Amino acid sequence: MTDLAISTRGLRKTYRTRRGKRVVAVQGLDLDVPVGGVHGFLGPNGSGKTTSIRMLLGLIRADAGAMALFGRPVPEHLPEVVSRVGAIVESPKFFPAFTGRKNLELLADAIGAPRRRVGEVLEETSLGERGKDRFKTYSLGMKQRLAIAATLLKEPDLLIFDEPTNGLDPAGIREIRETMRSLGEQGRTVLVSSHILAEVEQVADTVSIIGHGRLLASGPVSEVIGGTGKTTVKLVIDDREAATSVLTAAGLTVRAEGNYLVVDGAPDPADITRRLAQRELYVAELVPVRADLESVFLELTADEGLAAGDGTIGGQR
Amino acid sequence: MIRLTGVELRRLVARRLVMLGVAAVLGVTVLMLAAAWWNSRPLSAEDQQQAKAQFETAHADWVKNHEKYDKECRDSYASQPDPKPPVEEMCNYTEPTLDQWGKPQTVFTEVMPELLQGSSYLLAFAAFLIGASFVGAEFSSGSIGNWLTFEPRRMRVYASKLAAVAIGMVPVVVVTLAILLAGTYLIVAELGVTAGTTGKVWGNLLETSGRAMVVVAVAGAVGGVLALLLRHTAAAIGVIMGYVVLVEAVFGSILAQVQPWLVRLNFDAWLKHGTTYYVQNCKSTPEGYYNCESIEKSLSFEHGAWYLGIGTVLLLALGAFVFQRRDVT
Ligand SMILES: Nc1ncnc2c1ncn2[C@@H]1O[C@H](COP(=O)(O)OP(=O)(O)OP(=O)(O)O)[C@@H](O)[C@H]1O
Ligand SMILES: [Mg+2]
Repeated sequence: MTDLAISTRGLRKTYRTRRGKRVVAVQGLDLDVPVGGVHGFLGPNGSGKTTSIRMLLGLIRADAGAMALFGRPVPEHLPEVVSRVGAIVESPKFFPAFTGRKNLELLADAIGAPRRRVGEVLEETSLGERGKDRFKTYSLGMKQRLAIAATLLKEPDLLIFDEPTNGLDPAGIREIRETMRSLGEQGRTVLVSSHILAEVEQVADTVSIIGHGRLLASGPVSEVIGGTGKTTVKLVIDDREAATSVLTAAGLTVRAEGNYLVVDGAPDPADITRRLAQRELYVAELVPVRADLESVFLELTADEGLAAGDGTIGGQR
Repeated sequence: MIRLTGVELRRLVARRLVMLGVAAVLGVTVLMLAAAWWNSRPLSAEDQQQAKAQFETAHADWVKNHEKYDKECRDSYASQPDPKPPVEEMCNYTEPTLDQWGKPQTVFTEVMPELLQGSSYLLAFAAFLIGASFVGAEFSSGSIGNWLTFEPRRMRVYASKLAAVAIGMVPVVVVTLAILLAGTYLIVAELGVTAGTTGKVWGNLLETSGRAMVVVAVAGAVGGVLALLLRHTAAAIGVIMGYVVLVEAVFGSILAQVQPWLVRLNFDAWLKHGTTYYVQNCKSTPEGYYNCESIEKSLSFEHGAWYLGIGTVLLLALGAFVFQRRDVT
């Protein structure tokens, strides 16, 4: 149990909107995040990522289920473990009229961290001189970095970042990615939520994919995303009809998409070029299609024999 | 808890709005002193001259005629209709003195309690605004969520915020009332009458100031609780304004009998160690007239203390209950 940084069982949360409508945000989530490394927490918009994170941090109450951080049940024992957990939930929120430094000083004082930590974390997040400016004058990227600086005040073992690259430019995204990587390499645990697979794929060691508030898949990135062991490629070829019949005969799925033929189910791209070349059909262009979250998600839900829009997706672990 | 309260106090002091509020309170206090000075200023030389002339006329008249007036009065006493005051009182022609003409002098023991009361209203209102903005800003900016990831024990967070507002108001009250008391005393000592300002009078004034300090600190905490319940500074201020206008002012004046259950009168009863109010007592006389008379009633200090105490405790408990259970998103 203690080799898990985060673990939840049967976690549920239903929101009641102003008009009395009920929204099931999380329904029976079983999530396990191992200690150490970067763990991607993936799911489309509205799948309950932020809600789950808020429950873990004691910001909102779970309706049912159990949660633990480093093996300690929360929210009951949250005060004991909170010093090991740094979190940014959605957009960074600080006192707008105070400087970045003042904001950090107040937080440092609240947890009894030495004041020098403030200078250190400002340097670590390359905010150094900008710490003297008011928070409201910061760019989105700087706000994000200040939020990371705040989480580092505690020197945490677990960092929870909820969509940390939202609204950042490519340079900002890369910076955050490198920060997460290096935190993971220092032996800390980083949970990063996102709805963009490509972004998480580059930093995460393990991932969990959720949909409609339930776990759909979990494990090392390569296993979950390349889980089927099959590749999809797009190719350009002169004689599309001949190529289609050759590949279909080999048991692959082929469909036309604009100028391309999209081929599913090949063990690897070389297998396709070899089969076509044997019939003297030569490929002009071949692009392996990387699985995106949408297709993995659709595939995962299809495996369950349920449509993605159906609120009763079963879990698969 | 002490550490958290310290942090909240540091945040309170760093807020510009708080400093503006304190500056405004001190500004109004200076204006009050200026008004006290204006009111106790002596008359101009010309007016004094005129008063003196009138005094001299009256005095000359007295010297010349008072024995005659006295005799006439006593002679006709028996024929005056009853009821009448005793003869010594009715026919008492004392020698006029100069200070009966011109402007009455300002007496410290008379003006000071009123000034203290006015200043307490002002301080309580300022404390409410400061408390509401201090807590409301965190909910409207969302930084409370971030704060709770650093200190998840909500009751500590709640208590430290309210304690910081309450404690923060203490020096403001002390400085403001010290300026008011000392300033008024110096002004009146120069221009009016400070005779009769015994140790006991000072003791009473200091006790009133102490009670003002308590009620102002509570007003700050109440502002914080309301902003927390409503999640917004403006909402808290709107609710309190609406309450003051509709319930305290309009309802209270239509139905004078409810005054003992309104905040304002209990505030006065607490501050002044008991207070009085008036209700109309109307009835039909046997002759068929419908008569109304104003009757003075009193409201005890204990009533005010219990009323304000219970109200505050209930509000604090409600705030604690709501905040403990609230989803912070
Ligand atoms: N405060 C709230 N009141 C009512 N419903 C809410 C509230 N917050 C979230 N929801 C609903 O709960 C569901 C899950 O929302 P949540 O924010 O957890 O999703 P998410 O996975 O973080 O999405 P995103 O990728 O867009 O951030 C959504 O259907 C959302 O509409
Ligand atoms: Mg979210």
